[in-house]
Amino acid sequence: MSYTAVFAAHNVDFHYEQVPALRQLSLTVQTGQCVALVGANGSGKSTLLRLLDGLCFPAAGSISFHGEPLTAANLADNKFFLSFRRRVALVFQNPDVQLFNPTVFDEVAFGPLQMGWSSAEVISRVDAALEMMGIANLRDRPPYRLSGGEKKRVALASVIVLDPEVLLLDEPTALLDPRSQSQLIDLIQNWRGTSKTVITATHHLEILEDIADRVVVLEQGSVTAAASPQQILSDSELLLRANLVHAHRHRHGDLIHSHPHLHSHSKHEHEH
Amino acid sequence: MHIPDGYLSPSTCAVMYTGAGVGWYASLRRVRRTLNARLIPLISVFAAFCFIVMMFNLPLPGGTTSHAIGVSIAAIVLGPAGAILATSIALAIQALFFGDGGITTLGANCFNIAVVASLVSYACYRLIASNAPLISRRRVFASAVAGYLAINMAALFTAVEFGLQPIFFHDSQGVPLYAPYSLRVAVPAMMLGHLAVAGLAEAAITAGMVAFLQHADPALLSAASGGAAATTAAEPIRPNSLRRLWITVALLMFLAPLGILAAGTAWGEWSLSGETHYTSSSPSSALHRLASIWTAPMPAYAPPFVKSASFGYLLSAMFGVGLLLAGSLLVQKLWKRRSTAGSTP
Amino acid sequence: MSRGGAIASTLVGLSTALGNALVSETIARKPGLLQSLDPRVKLTGLLALVLAAALSHRIGVILALWLGATVLGLLSRVSLPTLATRVWLAVLLFTGVIALPALFLTPGTPVLSSPDGKLHITEQGIVAATLLITRVETAATLTTLLALTTPWMQILKSLRSFGVPQEFVMMLNMTHRYIFVLAESASQMLESRNSRTVGILSSAAQRAIVARTAGVLMGKSIELGNDVYLAMQSRAFRGDTKLLTGFRMTSRDFLALSGFLLIAMIAIWLGRA
Repeated sequence: MSYTAVFAAHNVDFHYEQVPALRQLSLTVQTGQCVALVGANGSGKSTLLRLLDGLCFPAAGSISFHGEPLTAANLADNKFFLSFRRRVALVFQNPDVQLFNPTVFDEVAFGPLQMGWSSAEVISRVDAALEMMGIANLRDRPPYRLSGGEKKRVALASVIVLDPEVLLLDEPTALLDPRSQSQLIDLIQNWRGTSKTVITATHHLEILEDIADRVVVLEQGSVTAAASPQQILSDSELLLRANLVHAHRHRHGDLIHSHPHLHSHSKHEHEH
Repeated sequence: MHIPDGYLSPSTCAVMYTGAGVGWYASLRRVRRTLNARLIPLISVFAAFCFIVMMFNLPLPGGTTSHAIGVSIAAIVLGPAGAILATSIALAIQALFFGDGGITTLGANCFNIAVVASLVSYACYRLIASNAPLISRRRVFASAVAGYLAINMAALFTAVEFGLQPIFFHDSQGVPLYAPYSLRVAVPAMMLGHLAVAGLAEAAITAGMVAFLQHADPALLSAASGGAAATTAAEPIRPNSLRRLWITVALLMFLAPLGILAAGTAWGEWSLSGETHYTSSSPSSALHRLASIWTAPMPAYAPPFVKSASFGYLLSAMFGVGLLLAGSLLVQKLWKRRSTAGSTP
Repeated sequence: MSRGGAIASTLVGLSTALGNALVSETIARKPGLLQSLDPRVKLTGLLALVLAAALSHRIGVILALWLGATVLGLLSRVSLPTLATRVWLAVLLFTGVIALPALFLTPGTPVLSSPDGKLHITEQGIVAATLLITRVETAATLTTLLALTTPWMQILKSLRSFGVPQEFVMMLNMTHRYIFVLAESASQMLESRNSRTVGILSSAAQRAIVARTAGVLMGKSIELGNDVYLAMQSRAFRGDTKLLTGFRMTSRDFLALSGFLLIAMIAIWLGRA
């Protein structure tokens, strides 16, 4: 398979009201890759995803999608706008933000309706998406009667109904119970190996090997490392510095020993 | 002061719907033009916020509790157009979904609580705070006054709407068909409760929130500041549609008391001559005392009708009109100054 | 009152209102008469009956409409206890208290006088009070039936088909949606405050807590509003939404509509001056 860059970000600067969020950030993502963006809170993961989705624009630098620059001017063009919105999908961390229609069906139908599809097509695609996410029974449910996991699945259904090429996921496992989490991971793994590009922002290190071929580490708005999950996970200095793990201190007799500690990660062994 | 179905005659409801409709139309146009689609979710969430705030029980000095509405702080943060829309939407949802509040009287409720209160709050706040820095005690004070006056003005309008019912809508036996109290009873009854209690609740919430925002997020207060607004685009403000709204409101207000006078029997429906039928001493003498606040200082050579209790109530209504008009004229002057000065950065 | 009196009662108020809302969604999905009708028919028909009740000069006509509304409710799986607790008692308490002085203050022919001759209950007063109470009860019953038997989404779509501007419908919908989100936020904030206080809170302290909670809530509201706009844009929203309209009137709907309008017209005619 020949790779082409789906996203190319060069020296991107972005700030929220004078507070810098991204500094000179450069990143390239190839088509069909599964990338994990890791970083502590405030490192700029969510911001980057929003920039990649063309929801905000860099103060300096550039972002392009398959070579097309993502600018306000370009997105003002109707054709490009509709095409981009269909091909790139963002799932927000807080599902309530994404559920603003009266029922689940309406929610999933929102995107297709905006695309201008015919009623018949909308209905059949929505039903298919609901089936795929296993929520066909929630069709007429209003969003305030959904559990956290169900909300996430509705949010996912509402973006996959458009059959996007790129999926941007912002902390998808947050607020989910273990079973929903593993279902979500299964879903991402299904996308792996297809031509879909998946970029997941997370600080949930245990799932990195399952969901990504490549891990990009963000610290204070810049990329500081990019490598395979195994390489990143074994670099304890990096993990500590990037505030992705905490130092665990304990005593061995008279010795006070401290080492980076990642909870629930298979074995817990260290050298004395 | 939410009016349930059945208190106002259908014709009154129709008139109030028209008034509210003018408010909605002008506000929507303004939102469409200057504030763009981004404000749709913002106004909606603010409406939800108003709805929730209406359910907060506020303890007041003296041991009572009351409820605020949140329209005053909405006017300060969103501007009057946004506040009119947000509050109307909250009221509509109360009526249509929660079944709380009338549907025929939705127009009246929106006019009183959304339109009148928003405009009064915004005008007062702008007048008193004028160009004070965003983080200043003066703004907190201004917002308290704005909240207090806004609610009381809304209550006054409500009271007038009630009080006009028996005058215009009664059957041949003299039975009032809707709200059964004349102006002389309705106005003081409603105003006392709001001047003493509910107005304070709104003042407390409005001032409390302005103070809070001054520390937490002062940018939110800039929409109603003398300087640039945080949420609008860099465009000069063109107050045309709102000016028309002011004029309509002012006209309606003037016509109301004039209509009373023209109707002849009007205010004096249950005037002093009719009192001999039914008086129980305490209410009417208290009312007389209240009325005399206005009429007592009148000089001896003033015509006799000036001294009557009825005229005293008419004067209270006129005072409200005058306040509203003065406020609107001043706000307009401020807007003109702001747009000609080319304020935005 | 207890240490966080106003806060506690606010919490109760919030959860009651939301609880009621959820109950109404349940009723809206039951197989009943009103539930089976096109929502536009319900909106028009029930409002026509409210108008008839509002226009009537005769208590008898209003009472008949009230009875009819109750029967409609029973046929729509809305039980008498539900109507009584949600509508009738509250109206009686509120409007009853308001109407009471009218007995004394309305001028007219005295029916009952106090021994010292100063207080009179007039015939006109009794009629006025009764008219008010019955009107309010009837209208409230009808509007509550509308709310209970019609899912919110359908109310919105009918409003749209009646020509309410699209922005309004969108805002109504989103507001409704976020009322539940914010209510939960507010409840959580107040609950955590409540559980962290020891001893009795002064009125001023409670006021401060409520104002602070309102302030934080507003901040969250605005942030939520901004984020929602981003989410909408992400799904190709640019100012106008297209809705799937799905209403089709069946002959049963036409029949019901004619029925409503006929009854309303008869009632208006019978209740005329």
